Order: sequence, then C-alpha cells, then structure tokens
Amino acid sequence: MRDDATLERLLDAVAARDEAALRALYDLTAPKLLGVILRIQRDRSAAEDILQDVFLRVWQSAGSYVPEAGRPLSWLCTIARNRAIDAIRRRTEAQGPVHEDGEDWLERLADPHDSEDSILGRDALRACLARLDPAHRDCVVLAYCEGFSREDLAQRFERPVNTIKTWLHRALASLKGCLEAVS
Amino acid sequence: MSAGQEAREPGEDRAGEYVLGTLTLAERVAFARDLARDPALAQAVRDWERRLGPLSLVAPEIRPGPHVWERIARALPGGAAANDNRVRALTRRLRLWQGGAAAAALAAAGLALVILSPRPERPDGARYVAVVTSGGAAPALLVSIDTATGQAAVRPVAAETPAGHSLQLWYVGTDAVPKPLGLIGADAARLPLPAGARAGEGVFAVSVEPPGGSPTGLPTGPVVYTGKLIRE
Repeated sequence: MRDDATLERLLDAVAARDEAALRALYDLTAPKLLGVILRIQRDRSAAEDILQDVFLRVWQSAGSYVPEAGRPLSWLCTIARNRAIDAIRRRTEAQGPVHEDGEDWLERLADPHDSEDSILGRDALRACLARLDPAHRDCVVLAYCEGFSREDLAQRFERPVNTIKTWLHRALASLKGCLEAVS
Repeated sequence: MSAGQEAREPGEDRAGEYVLGTLTLAERVAFARDLARDPALAQAVRDWERRLGPLSLVAPEIRPGPHVWERIARALPGGAAANDNRVRALTRRLRLWQGGAAAAALAAAGLALVILSPRPERPDGARYVAVVTSGGAAPALLVSIDTATGQAAVRPVAAETPAGHSLQLWYVGTDAVPKPLGLIGADAARLPLPAGARAGEGVFAVSVEPPGGSPTGLPTGPVVYTGKLIRE
C-alpha cells in the first residue's frame, strides 16, 4: 500500500542503505514518477533515464526527507519534476508536439481517482485555478504539468515573453492569495 | 533583460517560477545557488511545492521497463561488488544529517561525483573527457588519479558548497577508515593520495564540514557525493 506511513518507513530504511527498501519504494512509486516525468520529457527513453537518476538521488538523499518537506509521494514527485525540468531546460532543441492542453489537467484535478492525495488541497487548488483568467491559468498548468518554458508559452499564446512573465507572476500572486484565504 | 534586473525580482516571484519550471537555465542555476543559502527562499519554494503539488499527483501511472530497475541496481554500492560495504559503514557513521537542508539543495542542483583513472602511459598532450550523465546534469567533481605520481587531480565542475561550510574529500580504503584528502575549493587542485588509492581501489566521498574541514580527522557532516574509480 502506498500510504504515507509505509513510504516514510521505506525512506528511513533507504537512508540506512537498505537496497531491498529502495526496490520496494521503486515498485510502489516509480509508475507515478514516470508519469510525472513523461508529461515533461515526452521521449520515453530520456524519461526513463531521468527516473533512474531520481532513484539514485533518493538512494543518496533519502535521509534528508523530513515530513515538513511535504508528504513522501509529493516529495518524490518534486524530485522527479525538478530533474525533468532541469533536463529539458538544458536541452536546446524543441520538444515534440503537445497532446494535452491545460484544461485536461484541470479536469483530472476534479476526478477523485487518487485517494492518496488530500482532497482538501486538491479542491482548493482547483477552485483557485478556476478563478484565474483562463489564459493565465493555462500558462500555469502547462508550465507546471508539461514543462512549458516562457518561450513555449509566448509562442502558444502569441504574446511577447515579457507579457507571459507578467501573466505568470500575476497568476501566482492570485493563486497564493486565494489558497491562503481558503485554508 | 539584464542579470541585474533579474536579481532585483522579488524572491516570491522567483520561487514561484522556479517551482513552475519557467525560469531560464541561467536563472534556475542562480536560483538553486541562492536556495542553498537563503532559508526564507527555501521556505517559499516548499510553500509553492505544497500549493501546486496536487497537479503532480494527477499524473497517470506509467510502468517503467524492467531495464530501469536493473540499471539502478547495478549503480548501487552492492550492485557491482556485493561485499563492498565501505560506503555503507561510512554513511552509517554519518547519519547525523545536521545539514539536511543544505544537502537537499545540493541534491537538487543535479550533481554527481565522477572519478576517472587515466592511463599513466600517456603523460603528454591535452586529453578531453566527456562525462555523460542522465538528464545532462553536470557532475560535482572530476577526480583523476595519476598512478605514477600518487596524486589526485580534483577539478570542481558543479559542486556547490553550502554557505558557512567546507566540502572535504575523503578516501575510504579496505580498512574502512576514511582518510582526509583535502578541501574542495573553487579551483582545480592536486592532492596527495594514500597508498591504497594508488592501486585504484576504494571509494571517494565528499562530506559537508565546518569551515576549514573536519576538526576530528573523520567526517562529521553529511556525505553528499560518493564515487569509485572507473578504469579507462
């Protein structure tokens, strides 16, 4: 089971250099992490390279996990997302065609298929995203979920990069205000 | 937009864009450096990760191919040499992660220790080495061993030293007792090697230490990188 207590126990064991625990952690979480990475790095083989790197990083730094850093699965997703973003920012060639738009990810937020996610945090985020200007919201979601750069967004929305930057800052400020008011 | 203008941007905007992933590569690298030194920035990043986290958890699950785990297992200390528990012993000793935040920031910066053992029979001429890492992450250090002179050439590549600390390089030989090789500065350095390391055996490790290095002669802070010699 992929509950917080199990994952925390496995992370503790990994920090004590238990390879079997790393394998168990991998079995429980690798499919989710690969899903996170593949949204950003759409090349399967490159995405699997990143996944491998994520678990070697977890092997080295599992001891640095603290509950204040978020729930264990969120902590792992953050490492996976960071590695995927690092990788695509370092690369210069363009990504392949995009197959989803921001709206789809929003719908998935409303779909209660992920029991381990806190319903409260998800509903609040969905409600606050819904209040944003639709173009600003799509920028936030496409950046976060699919790794769009400011240039990618500028192209997609046919606006100058500086306008996109302003949109992002405005959207983030509104989101923060809204989420703080809700919680 | 100049670097000066970027630097004056509020930390909140930079933290949000860092988590969104929309900073340019240069901004991202600079931000990661600041993150290691600025607890308020690190807190702002954690807050954004928490706020946007639900969008990560809705990613579909996709099962990786079996080769991914095989490659991970091979890269673990026990993967290549099952009895090599030197890193394990060293790491157990260092389970006092007093610099947890700094270590996490280092891990996030995308680093690895790479060690090369060049052949001594080609002493002259420029040699170029490309270190290929997954995702294009730069390695923390290049350590090359000159078996003829018994020296290690240490060249920092992407190693980042947490504020108020020093990074110290250790060699752990067959006796499992870490021996200090020296501090890792901003520039390349040549450090003398203990006898066992000249044969290309053992493990190298980098720990976070008080400024000037470990006061005890043994690692006192978290081990942030380890690596073994790879024969060319």
